[in-house]
Amino acid sequence: MVKFERFQLSNGLKVIFHKDTSTPMAVVNVLYDIGARDESEEKTGFAHLFEHLMFGGSVNIPDFDTELQKAGGENNAFTSNDITNYYDVLPANNLDTALWLESDRMLSLAFTEKSLEVQRSVVIEEFKQRYLNQPYGDVWLQLRPLAYKKHPYKWATIGKEISHIENATMEDVREFFKKYYCPSNAILCIAGNFELDFIKERVNYWFSDIASGKKPARIIASEPKQLEFRELELERNVPASAFYYAFKMAERKHPDYYIADILSDSLSREKSSLLYLKLKKEKPFVSEIVAYITGSIDEGLFIISGKLNDGISFEDFDNALWEVLNEVCLNPIEEKELNSLKIKMQTARAFQEQGILNRSMNLCYFELLGDANGINEEHLIYEQISCDHIQSYANELFQKTNCSLLKIKAQQA
Amino acid sequence: MIKRKNAPSLKAIEKINFISPVKIQLGEHTPFFWMKEVPNETARLDFIFHAGTTRGSNLISSLVAGLLFSGTDKKTSTDIHNELDDLGAFFDVGLGHESVLVSFYALKKNILAVFKIFEDALEHVNFPQNEINELITDRKQKLKINSEKVGFLAQREFQKNLFHGTNYARQTELEDYDTVRREEIIEYFSKNYKNGLRKVVLVGALEEVQVTEIAEKSKKWCLHEKPLFENNFNNNKGIFQLKKKDAVQSAVRIGKTLFNKNHPDFLGFSILNTILGDYFGSRLMKNIREDKGYTYGISSTEAELAKSGYFMIGTEVGSAQKDLAIQEIKNEIELLQKDLVPDEELELVRNYLLGQLLKSADGPYAMTDLFLSVDAYELDFSFYESYIQKVKNIDAEELRALAVKYLAWDSMTIVIAG
Repeated sequence: MVKFERFQLSNGLKVIFHKDTSTPMAVVNVLYDIGARDESEEKTGFAHLFEHLMFGGSVNIPDFDTELQKAGGENNAFTSNDITNYYDVLPANNLDTALWLESDRMLSLAFTEKSLEVQRSVVIEEFKQRYLNQPYGDVWLQLRPLAYKKHPYKWATIGKEISHIENATMEDVREFFKKYYCPSNAILCIAGNFELDFIKERVNYWFSDIASGKKPARIIASEPKQLEFRELELERNVPASAFYYAFKMAERKHPDYYIADILSDSLSREKSSLLYLKLKKEKPFVSEIVAYITGSIDEGLFIISGKLNDGISFEDFDNALWEVLNEVCLNPIEEKELNSLKIKMQTARAFQEQGILNRSMNLCYFELLGDANGINEEHLIYEQISCDHIQSYANELFQKTNCSLLKIKAQQA
Repeated sequence: MIKRKNAPSLKAIEKINFISPVKIQLGEHTPFFWMKEVPNETARLDFIFHAGTTRGSNLISSLVAGLLFSGTDKKTSTDIHNELDDLGAFFDVGLGHESVLVSFYALKKNILAVFKIFEDALEHVNFPQNEINELITDRKQKLKINSEKVGFLAQREFQKNLFHGTNYARQTELEDYDTVRREEIIEYFSKNYKNGLRKVVLVGALEEVQVTEIAEKSKKWCLHEKPLFENNFNNNKGIFQLKKKDAVQSAVRIGKTLFNKNHPDFLGFSILNTILGDYFGSRLMKNIREDKGYTYGISSTEAELAKSGYFMIGTEVGSAQKDLAIQEIKNEIELLQKDLVPDEELELVRNYLLGQLLKSADGPYAMTDLFLSVDAYELDFSFYESYIQKVKNIDAEELRALAVKYLAWDSMTIVIAG
């Protein structure tokens, strides 16, 4: 049970306080309700570029990192297709430093041409390091637009192409900040060994004079129902051919989301899933095969991906995979396996909940989804899932017309 | 009016309370450490074997580590994995130069049962040929894929030159896989695992009687002799270039063999290393990322071996900027050798390091790992008391002298892949 208190400032900032008496550290986590899905198609990669700029100095503080490091702390941030999340971890008795820093950059940034120019280069190097200079690195740049035709999940957080980042102007950046970085679009969580009254007083002190801003309306093109099988084959200079089957699945808040999550766990069990037994153990079609979900807030993807063994054709593998998926659709998984999956989830949860940083991030994320208490309720949803639920959802999911297939053909093989 | 221009006043770190795990001696050379103060249901159980890559062939050691759960006469690999799954357990096998670490994560109520599965799997492992073949196929493919990554290529070349002339330098090549024999695997296992247990670590609020059972049953694997490790390394100096066609970035590794926590200069050097490249505000990050934008990230590390250690700077930079980046790295090192670190920067690093130490001691798992990272060098928590004193008292002259003594550019192995 993760206990927490909630309050809201008059400028709209939502605040969660999580008391933990066992730690000498404090966490300040700020979630902004802005992700790559909020970008326009002509200016992709902005949410992420912006995350970099948030460290380039704010209106009263030239260097964010330096001040936090002086206080013995460290910080980082990440951007997804849905959110941008910043966190600071520091000794609890220096909490005020983190509040000072986070409130100042929520108040206003001090953009300079130089910091924009440098961070553009840094992000371009990140683009190269992660997406261009790795075998299979560009897979998600290819798979997203295959699976999504309208919804902005069709581009990756790094952006659709480097030129969008190269062409970002000061004007663009200022506008982006004004629109998305305001108290009414943020959720703050503070965790550590404090009293609620103290937290209320300090948060009020640092954040209450920041202008509320207007929570931006989210107008996102919804993805039309997929009605046809899609396929893209690309040749790449890689040693092994790889496959990515992407099935459209339920959005984050839908009950089916949880069923899909368990189903992906079932198909990914190391050395014992049906995929592994049939496609690797019985007949060595693949060297590796995994199933996972993207976990996005809007309609997500259920992925089955892996690499073919030498000499195996995509066609042979494809037939064998659909046979296995049909089996999954026809025969419910056994009660025993379902229980084992649930115990594994409980164990993973118990480990994740140990750190206050994880708890703080999750509290903010669940609050964004509607209620921070989701952190304590989610396992109840999982517990109610039955073998029949899974079978029935598998039938809905594993339809050829619900699938987009990306094949990376190895030139070296 | 809020005074936003001025930073809130900073408070010093209060005392850090170090808590040592309980020690149970399993054999002359094998301790069992138990951290029992865990305020939740989780537990971790580690087994450290004297079975790292330097104990024999690189490839064989790595295959054995990958086949520890490959099956017995009575159970297949799938059976064993199913049994662990049914207990909600996760496990991880890590292979290093000097040891193999097998870690299990589970709820504390299941740890004893997890141990029994492991005990049976390890005692009776029979290395089925089909499991060996499957692993070899997978590993060959992984090696081919990794060989497409400049970071991987640079790291291998760096290790070869860093440790040249010793077992630590060896790397597995693709053709090595073609000559693997099952007998070698069985022999390596018998030699290095059956009587190769160097340490057991348990974190979790278990019942005493369960802990005793795990300890008693682990005794049969204890090491008979005190393990010996290489301490005489002398890295190849100079520049080593690997060409990789079409690479848009180059991986750079720069470093040399050095020392571990037992060396009197370790503490001072670790502070110098932080200033140079071991935190986000380091000189290398400030210059090469935050000023020039040549890279997404650059860092330096001080890594340790049982009787030695090494220093390494690593980055991936745009191919067109690699020479400029290396020049800037050299400049930053020379600045540390020439000029005194300014008071303000040194003060920041002192505060940062003490804050990070507090974080490293936060919670039973972190505390255990902090303990293990001194126990590995036959030290105890008093090491961190000396560390705190060193962080508080080191001055700029000492840092400059350390930079002169240990960071001479012509003592470095420099690898560029891309």
